[in-house]
Amino acid sequence: MEEYHPGDEVAFNPDEASNCVKECIEGIIGGVDYSQNKVNQWTATIVEHSLTQLVKQGKPFKYIVNCAVMQKSGAGLHTASSCYWDTTTDGSCTVRWENRTMYCVVSVFAVAVTL
Amino acid sequence: MDEFQSGEETAFVVDEVSTIIKESVETAIGGNTYQHSRVNQWTTNVVEQCLSQLSKLGKPFKYIVTCIIMQKNGAGLQTASSCFWDNSTDGSCTVRWENKSMYCIVSVFGLAI
Repeated sequence: MEEYHPGDEVAFNPDEASNCVKECIEGIIGGVDYSQNKVNQWTATIVEHSLTQLVKQGKPFKYIVNCAVMQKSGAGLHTASSCYWDTTTDGSCTVRWENRTMYCVVSVFAVAVTL
Repeated sequence: MDEFQSGEETAFVVDEVSTIIKESVETAIGGNTYQHSRVNQWTTNVVEQCLSQLSKLGKPFKYIVTCIIMQKNGAGLQTASSCFWDNSTDGSCTVRWENKSMYCIVSVFGLAI
């Protein structure tokens, strides 16, 4: 009888989440230039796809996915986040992506659910 | 015997959180002009201030606070969030603030324990 269960199944894996998000971003805005009338749709699609992929992993987590897309025009942008949670089980990961005309910053926060 | 409990203490109250955010932002960057060398400290101050006020509420929640400060330069910025949680207990609140030189967007997500 196995008594020792390593915490793999219930710890947040930021690398896996990060890869998942990068693929989503590439798939949606990979080769395109910033367009004001499409950006609304892009951010919504990026968060939805990322969330769907994360939920498919079937882990006992609640997720928050946040995406910001900014046109490259010389403006300064700074983001910060602070979390009040259980540091042993919860975690986050942030992916920064850019192309010639825009920056995209996606953050994933995962909070463990006690079943 | 009180059987009806309105659940005030365990629901995410958007208005209350919104007020906390507005006060925190005003206090941290209220009368300032965008300055590249100070913005790092400002975003940190805003999130820390918000979080400490939120934890003082004493509710059984985990919180995530994010803050974006952007210089007003004509650039376009779009943000979106998507959440997978328990709709009956969890909630979020986003406050958009601006002055002459910058925009500040703060989001608070509260997840019931």
